[in-house]
Amino acid sequence: MDYLLHVMILALIYSVFAMSLNLELGYAGLYNFGHVAFFGIGAYVSALLSQAGVPVSAAMLCALAAAGIAGAVLAVPALRVSGDYFGIATLVFAEMFRLICLNERWLTKGPMGLPGIPRPAWIAPGVDGMPAYLLFTFLAAVGTFVFIRRLTGSPFGRALRVIREDEHMAQAFGKNILLFKVKAIVAGSVLAGWAGTLWAHYISYISPADFTLTETMLVLLCVVLGGRGTNWGPVVGAIAVVFFGEAVRFLPIPQALTRYVAPLQGIIYGGILVVIMMKMPNGLIPEYRRKNT
Amino acid sequence: MSYYLQLLLNGVIAGAVYALFAVGLTLVYGVFRFINFAHAELISWGAYLALMFSSPPVSLPLYLAVIPAIVLTAVIGLSQDWFIYRPLRRGSPITLLIASIGLSYMLRNVLRLIWGSDLMTFSLPPARAFEFSGYYVTGIQLLMLASALLFLMILYLLLTKSLIGKSLRATADNLELAAIMGVSMPKVSAVVWTLASVFAAAGGILLALDTNLEPMMGGANLIKAFAAVLLGGAGNVWGALLGGLFIGIAENLSVAFFSPGYKDFVSFAVIFLLLLFRPRGIFGLLTGVR
Amino acid sequence: MKKSVGIMMCVFLLCTGPLSAAEVKVGSNTPLSGKLSVYGEGFQQAMLLALEEVNAGGGIKGRPMQIVFEDNNSTAAGAVSAIQKLITVDKLPLIFGPAASSNFLAVCPIAQQNKTVLIAAESAAAEISKCGSFVFRVFPSDALQGIGVAELTQSLKYDQVVLTYINNDWGVGLAEIFKKKFTAAGGKILDEFAHDEGKTDYRSEVLRIRKSNPKAVVNLTYIKEGATVLKQAYENGLKVQWLMGSASKSPKLVELAGEAAEGVIGTYPTFSQETPQYKAFKAAWDKKYPDKKIPVFGEYNYDMVKLTAKALGMAKSMDPDDLRQAMIDAGKGYMGVTGDKTFDENGDVGAVYGRWTVKQQEIQDFK
Repeated sequence: MDYLLHVMILALIYSVFAMSLNLELGYAGLYNFGHVAFFGIGAYVSALLSQAGVPVSAAMLCALAAAGIAGAVLAVPALRVSGDYFGIATLVFAEMFRLICLNERWLTKGPMGLPGIPRPAWIAPGVDGMPAYLLFTFLAAVGTFVFIRRLTGSPFGRALRVIREDEHMAQAFGKNILLFKVKAIVAGSVLAGWAGTLWAHYISYISPADFTLTETMLVLLCVVLGGRGTNWGPVVGAIAVVFFGEAVRFLPIPQALTRYVAPLQGIIYGGILVVIMMKMPNGLIPEYRRKNT
Repeated sequence: MSYYLQLLLNGVIAGAVYALFAVGLTLVYGVFRFINFAHAELISWGAYLALMFSSPPVSLPLYLAVIPAIVLTAVIGLSQDWFIYRPLRRGSPITLLIASIGLSYMLRNVLRLIWGSDLMTFSLPPARAFEFSGYYVTGIQLLMLASALLFLMILYLLLTKSLIGKSLRATADNLELAAIMGVSMPKVSAVVWTLASVFAAAGGILLALDTNLEPMMGGANLIKAFAAVLLGGAGNVWGALLGGLFIGIAENLSVAFFSPGYKDFVSFAVIFLLLLFRPRGIFGLLTGVR
Repeated sequence: MKKSVGIMMCVFLLCTGPLSAAEVKVGSNTPLSGKLSVYGEGFQQAMLLALEEVNAGGGIKGRPMQIVFEDNNSTAAGAVSAIQKLITVDKLPLIFGPAASSNFLAVCPIAQQNKTVLIAAESAAAEISKCGSFVFRVFPSDALQGIGVAELTQSLKYDQVVLTYINNDWGVGLAEIFKKKFTAAGGKILDEFAHDEGKTDYRSEVLRIRKSNPKAVVNLTYIKEGATVLKQAYENGLKVQWLMGSASKSPKLVELAGEAAEGVIGTYPTFSQETPQYKAFKAAWDKKYPDKKIPVFGEYNYDMVKLTAKALGMAKSMDPDDLRQAMIDAGKGYMGVTGDKTFDENGDVGAVYGRWTVKQQEIQDFK
């Protein structure tokens, strides 16, 4: 039973992460392949602060701020280019972040990572705290969901969708495109940082190896599989991906074959991405087009 | 002083191989207008296939094993196009990009499935480098330089003297017009992918000879190749060549000033800065901005 | 979506059948896949050999002992995930920890928080001594090896060296200790830097070494990385005396580096191969695995399981504190294959450090 709690917590954290990417990718049409950097910034800032004695809630808030600022810092220059070039610029940004974490041992302990990250004061450590943490992440996920739904239903959200579909038309309507996009990225980054703090304080150990291109690919998979541009899409995608990843532990695999499990999973993930692009580019839950969008 | 010159020398040789990768990547981009992430796997597969053919049960001597390795890699490259990219060509460019990310991940894991994640080598005995007045260059490095020159020379002749080469340039210039003028798209496609794969595989094998094989070897070099492509302007073959050299040199010289752990950072920084300030590259005229 | 979650839950519940009350189960957080899998396989074989002997001898107070293996994919995140499963699903009170000091350090706090006894058979980082009261190891801490390497360097009359070490907990920790001892005795470190794990190209590092023009280089690293560095140094004409640590001592180093490994000298925790315990172990190994050489750390893994079985037999109950006390009691004066396994107040054991070298493409003791 406890393991199910564990997997559900992971799925909820990932759905926050996926929803945050979807805000940028699905709604604003911004292909941020470096999104994992903000997840990582959230995780590291919160972890370092709380290990230095700052109460966890305060550390989390600082981490959110840091992620948002970093998002703005990336957004302003990166938005000079668009489309796939933007994707590459953001991807490279994430890799630079990872290299810095890996090399600046005095700050982040480099490849050794940060073990022993504390839980929030109101949640018990270890297994006992899991139900409380589950409630915590559940509320976080719900909160994120509601926030994004309201954001995308608002004039801001509609403007984003117009920008996504046709930038020139959006300009014709007098919208300051750059500002909208920056706001979208900052919002997405803050939420990604939020997911990162949830992750760090749950797993209690982070290292630069947790924030690689593989994680970028996984969260992309969540969003693309579930359906971009919808609210339920990334949630569904995250649950599917996380459950699949963990459920494999329970398959009775003979000892000699265990080394094949991880690559096989990888093949399936990659394969799903390809197949979805070819057959169902809109994912499992297509975007519902309302008449008065 | 000799320290820096040695670094420069290493950089030129590394750059020659990056040029091979960059040229392949830019050819694909020039004609099809998308960045193929799975290009990384063409590099790794080229090297691993050479390993496969030179190990039991086939056990060909290495210089023979490279032939089926390169041929098979070209098959992989062509299949990428035939089965996945061609059907998607009419879709949005982002779909192609995401599909290529997925394909890259898949191919990399097939590699891991077969050979595992561990480092592998061609098991050649270590050989002392040649020394020229205090500078060291190994036999393999000379081979890398010579091969790169050879390949690039062949490419030059192909692009300028042959009919297919001219068709290729026409297509890169203007896809629709070239088709209207009767250039055969399937033929150009095939040539582009074959060239890209052959170059990638050759570079991969050279790299593996020089150092070792590991499943991420393609991915690590793809970023550098991409930096070179951007430097030269996407689609510009000679720009990519010069870009490759530049990246190789910059990377190796950086070690003199920064910790070796930041070596890859150089390519990332180059990409980032270029995209921000000169997306058209230093040498190029074409743009990739949508 | 609801349906698939429901199906998942049913599958899950079916798979976790009723816990067998008859067996005594412990967990093992092992690298069965990933970059350490080649060692993980060996650990598992040694553990299973010990397990067989324990059960052949009547098990734990008549009940058979079982080891639940969980793959950690050779990564720290994987180790964390594996230990969570072992603690939360299998509810195991004692776990054999993951290999590689960094992976072990990542799971220490979890074990300590959950009061699960955690034992290491391969992790050398000095940091581990501070992990907590529930953490033990049968492999000696590098606090001792660092001193050993410094003494080796000095005994060979090298008082100016370049120091390079692998960029992880083990390398960083060992390097620190070496530095302290070496400089305290008057040695000078010309240059020092970390090198990353798993790279295929260390030429930049080799060039950097050459810049300082040293006669000897202290290279504290793993087997693959060590081999690559040696090979590339050889190719680039760097001629120095290489001084290495225990993690590089393996026939595989010679296999990978060939000629370039000739003449390397290093330290390692020794144990006599003449004791009756060792001879019995070797005979048992050859019987069960006739064509396999004893894997690196195999003896330590064997000792770990046998010692644990003894402790489980002595324990008053499976409560965390009783188990912990039993481990301490069982270790007192226990002579395993690898020597005396008495635990000190940090859960560490002592060691004697010997020296190895590569001569004529073979690993031999260095006199």
